[in-house]
Amino acid sequence: MDDYELLPVRTRVLTHRDNIVEAIANYAKDKVTDQDVLCIAESVVAITQQRYIRPQELTPGWLARTMCYFVPQQGSLSSCYGMQAAIEKEGALRFVLAMLCGMVAKVFGISGVFYKLAGPTAALIDDVTGTMPPYDKHIVFGPLDADVIAEEITRRLGCYGAVVADVNDLKRSLIVGASPGVDRAKAAYMLIHNPFGNASQKTPIVIIKNYARAAAKQAG
Amino acid sequence: MIFLQGLLIFIALAAVAVSLYIKFKGDCWFEFLVDQRTPFTPVELKDNYIVFSCQVPFINKGTQDGTLIDVHLRTLLPHEYYDKVDVDGRLHNADDPRGDHYWESVIIPYGTGGAAVLNVKLTAVDGNIRAALAEMVDLPMYIVFEVVGRRPIVVYKNYLVMPQEETRTAAEKIQAA
Repeated sequence: MDDYELLPVRTRVLTHRDNIVEAIANYAKDKVTDQDVLCIAESVVAITQQRYIRPQELTPGWLARTMCYFVPQQGSLSSCYGMQAAIEKEGALRFVLAMLCGMVAKVFGISGVFYKLAGPTAALIDDVTGTMPPYDKHIVFGPLDADVIAEEITRRLGCYGAVVADVNDLKRSLIVGASPGVDRAKAAYMLIHNPFGNASQKTPIVIIKNYARAAAKQAG
Repeated sequence: MIFLQGLLIFIALAAVAVSLYIKFKGDCWFEFLVDQRTPFTPVELKDNYIVFSCQVPFINKGTQDGTLIDVHLRTLLPHEYYDKVDVDGRLHNADDPRGDHYWESVIIPYGTGGAAVLNVKLTAVDGNIRAALAEMVDLPMYIVFEVVGRRPIVVYKNYLVMPQEETRTAAEKIQAA
């Protein structure tokens, strides 16, 4: 899989006033071919879908204020606001059961159970500081209909495919949505070194050049 | 009945254990160390205005990481007190110098800290900053900071003063130069 190239594309800050597909077309249409896969950062898709909230608009209940203490400090659910936002999306009962199961699993050395059971919001939510200004003071949820967005991008740009990705510098690379024909595991592997960079680099789009050829070569 | 009593006792014990765990964990606790600030020194001078700057260190003295969501400077110079200058006070994170005075939310691990750079611009009402500085009074101000850790958001204020000695000393140096 070493025949592909990663091409970050710089944009202005995309906001809730942008249509994500048209914005991507504006910045990347002349850079992609039918061999390429276009990758877009999931938080940017979520922002254009207005899936964010100021923590001051939330009133953390006792459940959120208690459960946040059982999440490691680095996690977006470690503040009572991140926890409250996620509980409101996924339901209190689900969160309590997920946390109890997660605790029991931890005793047996199995980690990640809480995030698997608590629903997609728990895994994709970004707490305050998780997104670039001016959204650094907001809680940003994961995007809706990521597969559909990826398909729309593919159609609009005429590229091989598109993915919506959640990637960070801690070697976490998760494909949240993908168009048909794109191998999620391969795409995640290609993005593992976070070519999106940090927020201030303003490169929420990355093009995997020659993805189709590289994937076919590996398969063949 | 015995089962119900046992269940209630279990729930009560679990609640006590969770309360103790939360109390033991604690939360972040921020403080701007105004008594350790650097002197206010002039960094820009024109005929009608002067900008003073100083650094104020801050620390998270708590037991949990905390987030400084927003920090800003509130100067307090009513015209009844001194009416020869207009004041514009701003600050930014020393680790994140940027020209727009925007405080980007930042996580501060417990036991660590940083510094805020304060910029205070004094503009002479009559256009002569040298004359205005010669009679300048103490300038009180608050560093206002919005904090979140494990517990709900709290807004704190730390008080400091830009003393007239520092502004008048600057004025004397300017006059001498």
